[in-house]
Order: sequence, then structure tokens, then C-alpha cells
Amino acid sequence: MEQPYIYILDPYPQQAPEQTRLYPFFQFLRDGRLTTSRCKKCGTLPWPPRVVCPECMSDELEWADLPREGKIYVYTVQETGLPPGYDPPVVFAVIDLANGVRLLSVIEDSEISEIKNGADVELIVKKVPQDRVMPAFRLKR
Amino acid sequence: MRRVALIAAGLTRFGIRQATYRELIQEAGKAAFDSNKNVSPKDIEGFVLSSVFPERSAFQSHVACLAAESLGVRPRKLFGRVENMCGSGIVAIRTAYTAIVTGLADLVMVVGAEKMNVPVPTEAALNMITGLDRDWEGSYGLAAPPMFALSAQAHAAKYGTNEEQLSMVSVKNHNHSKNNPYAHFQKGSTMEQVMCSRMISTPLRLFHCSTMSDGAAAAIFASEERAKGLTDKPIFITGTAQAAHGYAVANFHRDLSHWPALKEAANDAYAMAGIGPDDIDFAELHDCFSIAEIIAYEELGFCEKGEGGKFIEQGLSDYGGKVVVNPRGGLIGCGHPLGATGVAHATEIFLQMRGEAGPRQVPGAKIALSHTNSGPGEHHILIFEKGF
Ligand SMILES: CC(C)(COP(=O)(O)OP(=O)(O)OC[C@H]1O[C@@H](n2cnc3c(N)ncnc32)[C@H](O)[C@@H]1OP(=O)(O)O)[C@@H](O)C(=O)NCCC(=O)NCCS
Ligand SMILES: [Zn+2]
Repeated sequence: MEQPYIYILDPYPQQAPEQTRLYPFFQFLRDGRLTTSRCKKCGTLPWPPRVVCPECMSDELEWADLPREGKIYVYTVQETGLPPGYDPPVVFAVIDLANGVRLLSVIEDSEISEIKNGADVELIVKKVPQDRVMPAFRLKR
Repeated sequence: MRRVALIAAGLTRFGIRQATYRELIQEAGKAAFDSNKNVSPKDIEGFVLSSVFPERSAFQSHVACLAAESLGVRPRKLFGRVENMCGSGIVAIRTAYTAIVTGLADLVMVVGAEKMNVPVPTEAALNMITGLDRDWEGSYGLAAPPMFALSAQAHAAKYGTNEEQLSMVSVKNHNHSKNNPYAHFQKGSTMEQVMCSRMISTPLRLFHCSTMSDGAAAAIFASEERAKGLTDKPIFITGTAQAAHGYAVANFHRDLSHWPALKEAANDAYAMAGIGPDDIDFAELHDCFSIAEIIAYEELGFCEKGEGGKFIEQGLSDYGGKVVVNPRGGLIGCGHPLGATGVAHATEIFLQMRGEAGPRQVPGAKIALSHTNSGPGEHHILIFEKGF
């Protein structure tokens, strides 16, 4: 597999089957599904997904769908001082999904002045370089 | 248990330095040896280097051996490098402490060094995201400023901590670093200047942040027995603790205005030293962002939970207050060369306890606390007591 050098060292996660055992996560995400690993032994639903359950050390895990909707716990708008390759403003938010799983993501495709703590958000699929994807959210429409 | 004494310490000027990584190490090492003429490089038995990303900023790994060779040290009882992001310096000191307590070594040198500023200035910000969960969070461009801004937002929402209070921390620390010729910023600052400075990540403005500084610091520790022959002014480590509760922001304590890992570490360290927060004369706290100092007041027990904003407002963390916080100017005034910061705390404590801190001297300083964080979920503490 030939990859440009930057693909290996840039800030985005490696997503191809040759690179990560978690590649199904990114394939599901392309279809608009947000998933994580669920432990078949103890039911733990960690974020981010794993290949070994952090609670019981089982490696018998399966993919479980997460809710596509959640609420903003808190957010911040970064206006300056971002790393190169990231254009301001970036809205970073801590998002609590409807089942209690928490993740940090970005709010895009939304009017910044309408973003509030407690606001409802929904999943969108963010495209990042080299044809990769990451989960992101927008204010619920 | 064997007691451990701080017997020598020194540092470089912090700032945008026209000096390489290894030159900074040499400057700091010399300063430490100059502070105690009874110790020479050949006496050093153990050597610990604290450095976060020389692989990215100096294109150099295997740095403990580089540092030892640069300083003419030939360690044989303990040797290595530690990396725990911003808290690395205290982790390195704890490593030295543990080796001395167990009898593995009697005389250990700790050096903390970081070259933050690189030829392409924006690359420094990119290097910072390697210290977060880069796959799942850093890859959004998340670095420390927005991560701590989220804690500031949670603290504001729950306790009403406001921009004035955040700014007072900055003004205090900038005013302290006016008296520190080794600080990155030595001009002081005013409320107006802080509150009108450029927005970084809401609600944190430029002056609410520490900055990217190059620098190094060094400290030498000895067993009580060995210290007797080397100094008549030993400063003992009487308490120390650490706690880590989470790596990803998603896995920090659910209430981001509470940092229970810090509270846990503080209580363990106080118990070990047999003291409480009221006994601390001055503290070197990890004010990477002004909100971090406010939350640290609370978790360290200097005030009630949620009262950190009022604590700074009432001047209780300044000279003449309850506890002098960051007399050297903190990370906001001095700058924050990641691996060096915790060791620079020890350097300040060395000067203060000996009454050699000049215009920033804390009168009658006998007990000091040093705290660094490696993000809101990970904290490191040392308590020092004057032994003379
Ligand atoms: C706050 C921050 C984003 C600013 O970076 P930036 O936007 O790239 O700013 P620059 O470095 O270009 O600096 C521009 C000017 O502001 C000044 N400046 C930079 N940071 C400053 C600070 N924290 N306080 C006061 N002035 C500052 C610089 O001296 C420079 O002044 P000049 O124009 O007179 O030379 C950056 O310093 C930062 O990321 N700090 C946090 C570091 C960190 O995360 N440490 C780990 C914490 S745990
Ligand atoms: Zn399990």
C-alpha cells in the first residue's frame, strides 16, 4: 500500500484496515452511524472504542450503535491560536449522547450565536484530509 | 523512612531563546552546580531528565544520555527520562525522591528542559496536540487552551466565575514576574490590558494563557545523611502524591468544574506531610491558564469549592493574603517550557526558603507546595519544608 508520508504523521486518525483494528468504526461513520465497542462479557460501552475492554480485559467485543443525538454540556469557541491546518472559529463541545455516553467533538454547520449549553445536537459526518471521516455535530434541525 | 533534601537548584531565563535544546540544558545544569559548590558533576549518582517533545522540537530522542553527557554526569544508580506532558517536572522529582528513599541512590540530579519555539512558529501549536488524545480529540485541532476553556465554561456556569476574576489571576502573576529576571514576561499587566487582549478560546484571552517558552531548570536531591556534608540549608520533601483520573476530555470527571484527581492528590500529600492547607506559606501552582489557578485554590483546600473566584478577588492568594500563590510569576508570567516547569518550581522554593528571592521574597517562608497538572484529569504534588 503506497501512502504519502504526511498520511502517517498528520493529526487525523489512521482509518484503513491495514492500519487499525477499529476500521469498522470509520466505515459505519461513512454510513451515518456512530458506534463504539461493547464488551460481550460485562456490557461496558467505553468511549473511545477499544480492542480490549478496560473494565474486565475481555477482548470479545462487538460494535454497538450510539444515539445520533445528544446535548451540549459545555462548549468553547476558539478564535485564534489554532494549530496550522485548522481554520478559526472552531467550536469545541462536550456532548452527552442520549444514553449518557460522553464525547468531545466539534459543532459545525450551525449559527455560532445560537449555540448554547444544553442545546440539542445531531451527528454529522465531517470529511478530513485523505478521504477520511470524523464524527461532528450540528444544532438539531 | 529516609528523608530527601533539595540541596542545589538553578535555571535558565525562560522565553523565546536564541539557544538550542542542549544549550538550555547546559545553562540550567551550570546554574544548579553554581548554587552549591560542594557538589560536582562527578558526584552525581542518579540523573533524571524531564522533557516532553524533543523528538518534535529538537529532532532528538534518547535525551537523558545527551543531557548527562552535556553536564559531565555519569549516572550509575538511576538514569532515565520521564514524560507526562506539562506535569513532567514533578514526576521526574518524584522519581529521584523514590530512588533516594529506597536507598537506591544518595545523590540525584533532575533536569527539566523544553525547546518550544521552532523555526515554523505555528508548528509549536501542532506539537501541543500530541499531548492530548490525538486520535479522538486532538485531531479536531483541540490543544490545551480550548480544553481548559471548557473547564472555565463549566466553572462559570456553576459558580459564576467571571472574566474579571480570571483576569485578576493574570494581573497578579504578571506583576509577580516583574520581579523575576528569569521570566518570559517582565513588564506586568493591567486589568484593561488583560480584558482587552485577543480572544483565544472563549472565555480565555491571550493574557489568561501561559505561553510557549524555551527554558530549562535543574535541581539536586540528596539523602539526609549525604546532605549533611553538602549543605547546612537542606529543604526536605515531606509530602508527595499523584492522581490520574482520565486521559480524554470525554473521560474526565463528568463535572468539568471539579478536578477530583487534584483533591485526592492534595489530601494524600497533606496527610503524608502531616499538615493541612492552612500551613502552606506559598504555593507554586500550575496556572497554565488562569482558570486552572482558580480551580487549584479550591481543590487544594485554600478556599471552599466554588469560591476560587472570590479568593483571588479578595487578594488572598497574594502577598499579605492567606497564601502567596506563584511568587515567581507562575506559568502565565514566566512562560511554560513544559518539561522544565515542575523543576522551576523547585528552583523557586530553593530560593524562597533560603531568603534569596529578592524583591519577591515571601516573608518567613517555611512550608511550600508545588503542583503541576497534565490536563484537568492528572495532577502531581510535592510539599517542601525548610530544614534549617
Ligand atoms: C495563547 C496562545 C494560543 C497564543 O499563541 P499565538 O496566537 O500563536 O500568539 P503568538 O505566539 O503569535 O504571539 C503574539 C504576541 O502575543 C504575545 N503573547 C503570546 N502568548 C502570550 C501570553 N500567553 N500572554 C501574553 N502575551 C502573549 C507574544 O509575545 C507576541 O507578542 P509580540 O507580537 O509583541 O511579539 C499560545 O501562547 C498558547 O497556546 N499558549 C498555551 C500554551 C499551552 O497550552 N501550554 C500547556 C498548558 S497545560
Ligand atoms: Zn468488559
